[in-house]
Amino acid sequence: MKEQLMEILEELRPDVDFEAEKQLITDGVLDSFDIVSLVGSLNDEFDIEIQVGNLVPDNFNSIEGMMALIEKLQDED
Amino acid sequence: MKTDILDRLESTAAKYNKKTVFTDETGSISFCELLDKAKRLGSALCKKVSAGSAVAVMSGRNVLTPVTFIGIVYAGCYYAPMDASQPEDRLKNILKVLKPPVLVADKDNADKAKALGFEGEILLSDDFFESDIDDDALALRRERMCIDDPLYVIFTSGSTGNPKGVITSKLSLCCYIDAYREVMGIDDSDILGNQSPLDYIAAIRDIYLPIFTGASMYIIPKQCFVMPAELFKTLNDKRITSVGWSVSVFTIAVKVGAFDGAKPEFLKKICFSGSVMPCNVLRVWQENLPGAKFVNQYGPTECTASCTYYEVDHVVADDEVLPIGKPYSNYRVFLLSEDNRAVPDGEMGEICVSGPIVALGYYNAPELTAKTFIQDPLNTLYREIIYKTGDYGTFREDGVLLFNGRKDRQIKHLGHRVELGEIEGTALRLENVKECCALYQKEKELIYLFYTGDASVKEIAGFLRGVLPGFMVPRKLIALDEMPRLANGKTDMQTLKEYFK
Repeated sequence: MKEQLMEILEELRPDVDFEAEKQLITDGVLDSFDIVSLVGSLNDEFDIEIQVGNLVPDNFNSIEGMMALIEKLQDED
Repeated sequence: MKTDILDRLESTAAKYNKKTVFTDETGSISFCELLDKAKRLGSALCKKVSAGSAVAVMSGRNVLTPVTFIGIVYAGCYYAPMDASQPEDRLKNILKVLKPPVLVADKDNADKAKALGFEGEILLSDDFFESDIDDDALALRRERMCIDDPLYVIFTSGSTGNPKGVITSKLSLCCYIDAYREVMGIDDSDILGNQSPLDYIAAIRDIYLPIFTGASMYIIPKQCFVMPAELFKTLNDKRITSVGWSVSVFTIAVKVGAFDGAKPEFLKKICFSGSVMPCNVLRVWQENLPGAKFVNQYGPTECTASCTYYEVDHVVADDEVLPIGKPYSNYRVFLLSEDNRAVPDGEMGEICVSGPIVALGYYNAPELTAKTFIQDPLNTLYREIIYKTGDYGTFREDGVLLFNGRKDRQIKHLGHRVELGEIEGTALRLENVKECCALYQKEKELIYLFYTGDASVKEIAGFLRGVLPGFMVPRKLIALDEMPRLANGKTDMQTLKEYFK
């Protein structure tokens, strides 16, 4: 799953070191536009449905946060 | 008409005293504290610079930044805000144009300011707020103030790669804020929700409406605009009644389904600007906030943030196109043809503006100023300076203006003005980029950069991010073996547009 996620993120923002950044939202690395495209890609790729309530900094600040969110939503199905 | 900003502040502060004027995530400040701190900073500044000096400001997204601005006005000077999160290269370029004798930074930004190799003195605002008030020094500065003194210099994208500093006078600001207040119906019961970075033109409403009316303003944390559910929660927690935001915020909220959660309960007065509002987005907002007023605003920085407004008087249909409306009071808006003639109603022309709201020009750029701010070709009798916006428009017979797009390669992206030529010029600074062409896919709001040369996508993206503001960095970088060409040898942009994925 991590590889798929990294592929999406690197396509989205080739200039960001996602392994190192742990405050993607809080530090303003990702902008609102990135989030909209990211949500679309994650929904398609992992067959999940991210709700507006899931859009909190903790879930998107780091790849770990994003993986936890994806796992949680996959389990809910 | 009271056009002195300090007179207005002082009478508002006398009336509202301990009421909160600005709030941010961690603190707030009252009208009388604003007045007191601004006078302290102004007094200290009087000892450092003469009246009429440019003062650069590097200060965070918090309540003290507007206080710093006002303090600079007390010292008889004008401020030039610089967003410290921008790349060093760009900040250095701004200082090169501005050549300020001093730069005021808060403690969080002082180190960044020092790293810029600035030749003048760097002053710490936190210290200055503790200085004693020198009423005599302030009075001396006050006596010499004029209503057309510069108030601020705000830098925007320039097609040559050099940022342009637009100079706005106190008079222009008063005209705009008064006109906006009238249209939106802002009064002392309002709580404004600020989105715009404080160094950006749209923030002038959020800073000066409270000073002129007694309203309060909350500086919404930046991350809320990435997480729309948090945004709506904040609007409700802070009981925000009025916002002036860029169109992209409204679009994103709808795209992620923000209205599925808690809706903004107190929001009643909404102005949007920066780019064309898609009506399918506006309709969702209108349906969810049925009692609210929605106003579409149009205009460039060179005319004090705006020109025209259109109050939406019906729930829009998805395929409708919103007019940009009628001129604000004290804005003279008209159209000129290519050969500088008047344009009859119903025909398209370039949107031109004159009046007390036209900027004083571009800072330290007399040639560019002379080329851009010109004598009205329709007026041969007396001096009347107009600004040609570079936008096309058509007047309907009822005096309502319609927007017809851009004359050049300037685009509006996420509320910011972007010159595609500036992106290309920057990319070409890399040796292994041979040729390139930046294009905008409007529907998906994506900037593309097509290029030839052996640079990798990662390399270019990383370089651009180090030099350009984040919103200007292309999201799609596409390497080509060869640029498609027209018969005359120029890049074939139409063919490139077919490569949009």
